[in-house]
Amino acid sequence: MSLLRAHGLTAGYGPVTVLNGIDLEVNEGEIVVILGANGAGKTTTMRAVSGTIPRSGAVEFDGHDISRTSPDAIVRHGVAQVPQGRGTFPELSVEDNLRAGAITRRDGAGAVAADLQRWFEQFPRLAERRSQRAGSLSGGEQQMLAIARALMSRPKLLLCDEPSLGLAPLITKELFEVIERLNREEGLSVLLVEQNANLAMHMASRVYLLETGRIVASGSAAELSADDTIRKAYLGF
Amino acid sequence: MSVPFTLRSGGPGSWALRLAAGAVLVYLMFWIPTQASNGVIDTCITALTLMAAAMALNLLLGYTGQISIGHSAFFGIGAYTTGILVSKYGWSPFQTLAVAFVVAFVVGALVSLPALRIKGVYLALVTLSLGLVFPQLIKAPKMEWLTGGARGLDKTGFKFTKKNPTYEIFGWNPWGNLRGENVKPFLYWIAMIIVIIVYVVCRGVVKSRAGRSLIAIRDNETAAAVMGVNLAVTKGLAFGLSAALCSLPGCLSAIRTGNVTPDSTNLTVLGAITFLIVMVVGGAGSLWGPIIGSALYVFVTDRTGDWSDKEAIPAVLRPFFGWSHTPPGSGIFAVVLIALMFVAPFGIVGMWHRVIGRFVKVVPRPAGTGTIDAPATAPAEA
Repeated sequence: MSLLRAHGLTAGYGPVTVLNGIDLEVNEGEIVVILGANGAGKTTTMRAVSGTIPRSGAVEFDGHDISRTSPDAIVRHGVAQVPQGRGTFPELSVEDNLRAGAITRRDGAGAVAADLQRWFEQFPRLAERRSQRAGSLSGGEQQMLAIARALMSRPKLLLCDEPSLGLAPLITKELFEVIERLNREEGLSVLLVEQNANLAMHMASRVYLLETGRIVASGSAAELSADDTIRKAYLGF
Repeated sequence: MSVPFTLRSGGPGSWALRLAAGAVLVYLMFWIPTQASNGVIDTCITALTLMAAAMALNLLLGYTGQISIGHSAFFGIGAYTTGILVSKYGWSPFQTLAVAFVVAFVVGALVSLPALRIKGVYLALVTLSLGLVFPQLIKAPKMEWLTGGARGLDKTGFKFTKKNPTYEIFGWNPWGNLRGENVKPFLYWIAMIIVIIVYVVCRGVVKSRAGRSLIAIRDNETAAAVMGVNLAVTKGLAFGLSAALCSLPGCLSAIRTGNVTPDSTNLTVLGAITFLIVMVVGGAGSLWGPIIGSALYVFVTDRTGDWSDKEAIPAVLRPFFGWSHTPPGSGIFAVVLIALMFVAPFGIVGMWHRVIGRFVKVVPRPAGTGTIDAPATAPAEA
């Protein structure tokens, strides 16, 4: 069943249109990867889905039309975004960062505390640094924190904007394992944007290839890497 | 580097320290109105006024990261709301506090509208223009019937009569009264209560879910938005609350002096800048920063108030300040401000934390205690 469905999604910044009417679908339990070079519109796609920039076209999430919904309401529907770069709140403690992820929840302090406990167990390194400033964490830890914080809103769909940015290959691998595990064990659907095609395609259920604001190819990871022209032109291996 | 002492947060040691600090504060709070001279009490009221205003600004700038160089306007709204209601309509000064709070909240929330679109220097300019316009608006000929124009308003304070009650506890009266002979302590306590109210509100906001939203906006606006913080509503409330709290010391100023004029310092942009500076010197984004900054500022300006007379300057300092024909208080504070930017970029409170950190290691509450009491779920195996 499709969880997120975008049709003719167009978005940009001021007079500049970056995204030219893309169609996109994420089914429940899938990891969908969007690949593309710099400036292809990957981050813009994420922002258009989460509603943080003006957009047009149809966006449907979990049976609701969210094409005119405000970002906070979209979070309440069950979409959580891990923004690009170090998307943490550096002056808040690790714990308060996680609590900030639960801002939209109205199911009581007990449930939030239970989730807090749960993610501390899943991410023991965050538990150790619980009362440290988030800004004092390493890049990899901050990215973990950003993911855990997004999970605090109990999302059905996690938007990950280039989590590997500026991280060592080993840390990136670890991070992707975490995302895969969440998908496998929690049934979390993931929409992931990446430049690192090689790594991301391993775990992708389906892949979209984005170029200058248009989707130029889509299909399973195997299909795309089997196509020689696509592989050479876009994937670089 | 090893640290000689450790202190467990929430442990008996930290509670003992808190109690001791609290006791000293309460002792001082009562010592000032009962033992100190009227002059000292008066200076303290000035400091308390500044504290409340700086704390209100801190909520907006220190925590939400939205700059305002126009908070003098909100201070002025407080002063004029009290002034107009008391002098023209015969209200009791206390009742006017609530009205001022609401009026300033609404105006503050309206000012937040441009803040949704603009940031940094541009927001500074918009709020600056608010601060500049306010005294002009008060002095505008068409407003004179209400505001008294450039002459301002008088009889805006309490009416003293021998019939007013006293509030003795077994013959001990730290509160003062409104009979005209022991007024200073009474005003001091109003100021103190306003400061306590502003502190308690700020603390309540900052330590709550709302406070995390504010800091989230300050630290990373995009991330805050995708976490589900409603930027428009949150900024609007932060502006409104900050403005409303800033109006309270304004009311106090009208009550205290018994008159309101559009040119008194705290109602002009100079006042807004003072709020800003004392907050930064004390430590923006900390609850005690504005309090300490204000106390220091008033102490310095009070001590150097008569230094325009050469003979009043202590002999050691005379070569440095003897040339000045005006009190050098603001100048000294400006130098302190510049120096602090180098040695303590997070203000006096930040410096305090750094110095204390060399001697005392504060151990945070261990994970799994405190607010977390829900049953732990079994960790999923990777």
